[in-house]
Amino acid sequence: MDTYLYLDRNTIVHRLDPRTKIMLMAGSFVMTLLFMHPAWVAMALAVVLIHGAVSKSLSNLKRIWWILFMLFTMGTILWALFSSGPTPFVGPIEWEAFLFGLGNALRIDTMIIAGMVFLSTTRNEEIVLGMVKMGVPYRFGFALSTALRLVPTINATVYTISQAQRSRGLDLDSGNAIVRLKKNIPLVVPAFLSTIRSTNVFGMALDSKGFGARPTRTNYLRVGFKTADWVFLAIMLGLLIPGIYLWACKLGRIPGLTKF
Amino acid sequence: MLSIDIRDLSYRYRGQKTPALQSINLQVEEGDFVVVMGPSEAGKSTLCACLNGLVPHFFRGKFRGEVRVLGRNTREHSVAEMAELVGLVFQDFEAQLFSTNVALEVAFGPENFNVPWEEIDRRVRRSLSLVGLEGMEQRAPATLSGGQKQKLAIASVLAMEPKVLCMDEPTTDLDPVSKLGIFAIADELRRRHDMTLVIVEHETEEAAKARRIVLMKGGTVVKDGPAHEVLREVDLMESIGVQPLGVPQYFHAMGSSELPLTVEEGVAEFQARGWRIDEAAYEALRRRDAERARSYGEPIIRVEGLSYSYPGEVNALRGVDLEVRRGEFLAIVGQNGSGKTTLVKHFNGLLEPTEGRVYVDGQETTKQGVYKLGQKVAYVFQNPDHQIFSDTVYNEVAFSPRIRGCSEKEIEQRVKEALEAVGLVGMEQEDPFSLTKGGRQRVAVASVLSARPEVIILDEPTTGLDYAEQRSMMELVSRLNQQGHTIIFVTHSMWVVAEYAHRVVVLKDGKVLLEGPTREVFAREDLLRETFLQPPQIVSLSNCLGKTLLSVPELVQCTRTGG
Repeated sequence: MDTYLYLDRNTIVHRLDPRTKIMLMAGSFVMTLLFMHPAWVAMALAVVLIHGAVSKSLSNLKRIWWILFMLFTMGTILWALFSSGPTPFVGPIEWEAFLFGLGNALRIDTMIIAGMVFLSTTRNEEIVLGMVKMGVPYRFGFALSTALRLVPTINATVYTISQAQRSRGLDLDSGNAIVRLKKNIPLVVPAFLSTIRSTNVFGMALDSKGFGARPTRTNYLRVGFKTADWVFLAIMLGLLIPGIYLWACKLGRIPGLTKF
Repeated sequence: MLSIDIRDLSYRYRGQKTPALQSINLQVEEGDFVVVMGPSEAGKSTLCACLNGLVPHFFRGKFRGEVRVLGRNTREHSVAEMAELVGLVFQDFEAQLFSTNVALEVAFGPENFNVPWEEIDRRVRRSLSLVGLEGMEQRAPATLSGGQKQKLAIASVLAMEPKVLCMDEPTTDLDPVSKLGIFAIADELRRRHDMTLVIVEHETEEAAKARRIVLMKGGTVVKDGPAHEVLREVDLMESIGVQPLGVPQYFHAMGSSELPLTVEEGVAEFQARGWRIDEAAYEALRRRDAERARSYGEPIIRVEGLSYSYPGEVNALRGVDLEVRRGEFLAIVGQNGSGKTTLVKHFNGLLEPTEGRVYVDGQETTKQGVYKLGQKVAYVFQNPDHQIFSDTVYNEVAFSPRIRGCSEKEIEQRVKEALEAVGLVGMEQEDPFSLTKGGRQRVAVASVLSARPEVIILDEPTTGLDYAEQRSMMELVSRLNQQGHTIIFVTHSMWVVAEYAHRVVVLKDGKVLLEGPTREVFAREDLLRETFLQPPQIVSLSNCLGKTLLSVPELVQCTRTGG
């Protein structure tokens, strides 16, 4: 079972310096958050999708489409319910509130997809190195990448445990929410314990490989800014600066939205 | 010069009543090759952890005495500082690999020591070629086989160019030939690089390659000497729960004062003494095999043209046909990644065939589902800790009947039965997590027995157990078989197969390569080796003598010494 989002492909995006990739992701976030109107957010989404297509990482959408779909529908409904506007639309929801819900849900999905593209094109080690080069202490960067690494590991453990418990007759799929929650105890206890145990070995292995032995360390992974990095950053700025100008001109908002 | 110098070392983990190590004195010369053996809780892993300072820096506890490695006192230097001198490889290879590709994994250690880039590059290439992983630089560690992962873990430690390499049970999860591969690497290191090697190992056939063997028990050293001397201490090894080597054990049992160590020496000694294999006794064994085979019932599991592929991966199984009859005791063997676990997961419906059909009790598994199949086919997972979650042994064992809606009285009866079967009566109110690994394994078996299944599948039931625990586990499984349960188990341990299984299925690359009664399968040594398997020493000896005998008692029984 493949446990990482990272896709080992040799595209122009994969070859970028990790700092560029981090900045591209941050740029995508800013661009997404500038506007509220779904039509405008959709433009940001389009840019992110083009980025994903160029890096051949959209195949990972298959792995997270369910989360995206759930967040999109739930987000649209909830945000729409908790805001209002002058134009009636469906039931208690006004047109402006609906646009607001849609816009916010799109924002969340766009940012998740931008994050997915980043993780699909950047190795764990590159993330750490990029952060270190941007001034983040190595230990902090390493801790963050460890957290990222832990998610798939825990997933794999839970998968094994759920098979063991299903073999003993545990039926995880029936009953109401509370019953089902209770049924998860046989999964949670062993998952928690084996995670602690493997984290312990991980800690020992780190120490045993001289983690933090010297104040500075070599980086075997070689990174550096090349022409492509400058081109990508220029494109990003070329989109972001006009975007900020339009935002300053109060464009991309939802007129008449009163409560949020 | 002394490489390792341990004086009067005692250590007790915080919160433990008994010390893990007591008054250990051990001196190891540079370039020596020491294997440490002993039962569970002997203090072997703690000793390893002392060498690079994990004890006392990482673990908390009471430390007395002194450990020096190449003159450096472990108490005065951090683990990271010691790491330059002592490389430590752990048993759990999954948890010690954390990079996204092989080259980066190997580079991690030297990176931490600020080694120049060109030098790291050289070391990465050299370490990988030493362990036989060249050309795999860009592979993700997760995609490697078990044996390759352990080799990678070794390479990642070698890249730090330590003077001492310590490996804590590095071969536990590996198939026999991968085990030999690890020891071949060890030998190479010692000869070419004059590295001091300390390896904790519980399988004696591997340990025989060492120059010196240290036997430990209860935190103390009970014997320390040249390997050829220690391996002849058959009684001592048995008494502390370490499996003696088959060949010397056989000659010892025959009352011989001369104890050969290898198969070749054994054959020569056997012939020199003018001993012969007793044809009549051998025929009696074969007749017993045949009788047993006739006593099996109707087929309970039938596999037809089974193929299975995990999403996005190559085929794990390719056209397997197999029949298991009621009352059989079947071993499924094969190298790491040959499809053993994938195959047995079809028997209780955890996996559904990509192609072909699996029938249990005459009905297709896809039509029955895991819940229903669970009453007929029980599955004990390799790691009991993936299964145990209750606060008492009773509740753990009661889980299955409870979930199936049995009455409290019925549950009580079933728990009693199951605990009797595994020998844990009286432990009902114990916390399962407070038991040893062997004890937890028993709880795991009891917890599936309480569903009263006909078939019991065990995935690597002896992994991580010491010799005495392995024996007692397999005696338990054997008893269950005699009581009428059909047993199917997956294993790497060849002596367990030889002594307990009635029939063996050998898988290679997802196909059945060889199948038949244990005696017939072990007679095909050449073919077994093709699948990275090797019969136990005693079986090899008997094969060289022209007959296949599966254990020391069998060979003793069939030996004619006079006229």
